Amino acid sequence: MSETPFALSELPWSPLALAADIEAGTSAGTVWNGAEIVIWRDSRGSLHAWEDRCPHRGMKLSFGFVRGDRLACLYHGWEFGDDATCRYIPAHPELAVPPTIRVARYKAAEALGMVWVAHPDAAEPSPEDSHAVFGLRSLQIDRSAPEIADLICRVGLPGCGGLNMPERLGPLIRWRQGDLGLIAGLQPMTDASCTLHLGMESDLPGTERAAMISATVALRTLAESSRSEGLS
Amino acid sequence: MTNARLWNHDLNDDCYRVRLMAALAGVALDIRPVDLFPGGEHQSPEYRALNPLARLPLLHAEGMILRQTEAMLLYLAGLGPRGPLFLPEKAPERALMQDWLFFAARDLGAASQARTVAMFGASGDGAALAMSARRGLRMLEDHMTGQRHMGLNFVTGAQPSVADVALFPAFALCRDFNLDHDAFPALRRWARQIRQLEGFISMPGIPDYH
Repeated sequence: MSETPFALSELPWSPLALAADIEAGTSAGTVWNGAEIVIWRDSRGSLHAWEDRCPHRGMKLSFGFVRGDRLACLYHGWEFGDDATCRYIPAHPELAVPPTIRVARYKAAEALGMVWVAHPDAAEPSPEDSHAVFGLRSLQIDRSAPEIADLICRVGLPGCGGLNMPERLGPLIRWRQGDLGLIAGLQPMTDASCTLHLGMESDLPGTERAAMISATVALRTLAESSRSEGLS
Repeated sequence: MTNARLWNHDLNDDCYRVRLMAALAGVALDIRPVDLFPGGEHQSPEYRALNPLARLPLLHAEGMILRQTEAMLLYLAGLGPRGPLFLPEKAPERALMQDWLFFAARDLGAASQARTVAMFGASGDGAALAMSARRGLRMLEDHMTGQRHMGLNFVTGAQPSVADVALFPAFALCRDFNLDHDAFPALRRWARQIRQLEGFISMPGIPDYH
């Protein structure tokens, strides 16, 4: 196991969703180190990550709806194009919208079956899409990301066979249990919560994947049980 | 046969369950509005004579009075032209439907109560109810994640059942008590499937646009 210490909060790119969970034409809200972010995919399949706040009245844009290549706010229908500038205000259909009305953008990329997001000024390239990952689920846990990283490196997924070769690479953990290669992307949310984006490096039949969901529930239960039992 | 009559309030989640089931099954209802909030008409002697529980909804049909939401859902599904879709025939699927139906009423009842505390100032420990609702929705998320891996879009199988109708509002309305949809990707997907069903209707708090 790698002993390289890392601070999840300082990494430029973070996984914020499983790619398959953000379907074309849909949006979802999430929290990354306390920042509220909307992730959405336009009708052509391109990913976008913006601040989750409409510049008009502060409504969460993740409550909104995707139409074509625009995200519209649920409150008053302001529409924002793929460069995050406001393109259309329904209450003023004749108005040429000033280009200064825009939403703060993050960088977004897709790799290893996950959606990755970075601050707009991040210089580092997005993670390499080096091999196929089959998404299992995203699992929100009421424990910090470093605590969960430590737990996975000790137990993996409970009940899925002996744990082998856990390896930490920034926000990623790769390990093997039995014949199966597993990968987890850790998304720090707050000091006391994180989301684990879990995938497999080879595909399994649906019934076997479904059976693994109970192992993920066991992991969450173990993590959220008392610290002395779960995380000593 | 005359239409079933629903004593209704548009913002009440159980009344919405009944309207939604009727719409999905293709059953026309007569709506009798009750000024639940702010008027408190459900406490009036006239209403209490019909329902001593002083609670909505109430359904009057074929000379009988139904006071339990889940009984109304099962009755309406049996009545409408599209209703049979929502009543699985095989015993295991029917048992699963009933299990999740009781889960919706009993365990996820906290979601309904948390919303009533947050929106209508009802008495109760809002924070504790919201935590309880979150536990229930996590269970449903876990279940629907497994269903999705098996290629099943709904709670009891490939087809929607009465259980989906009973469970859907608990998730769709949870933002009314400040529980976000963020942590529930499988439920977001499931909700999109339900929205696409023929006859689907929304209510305030469940946007028509999505």
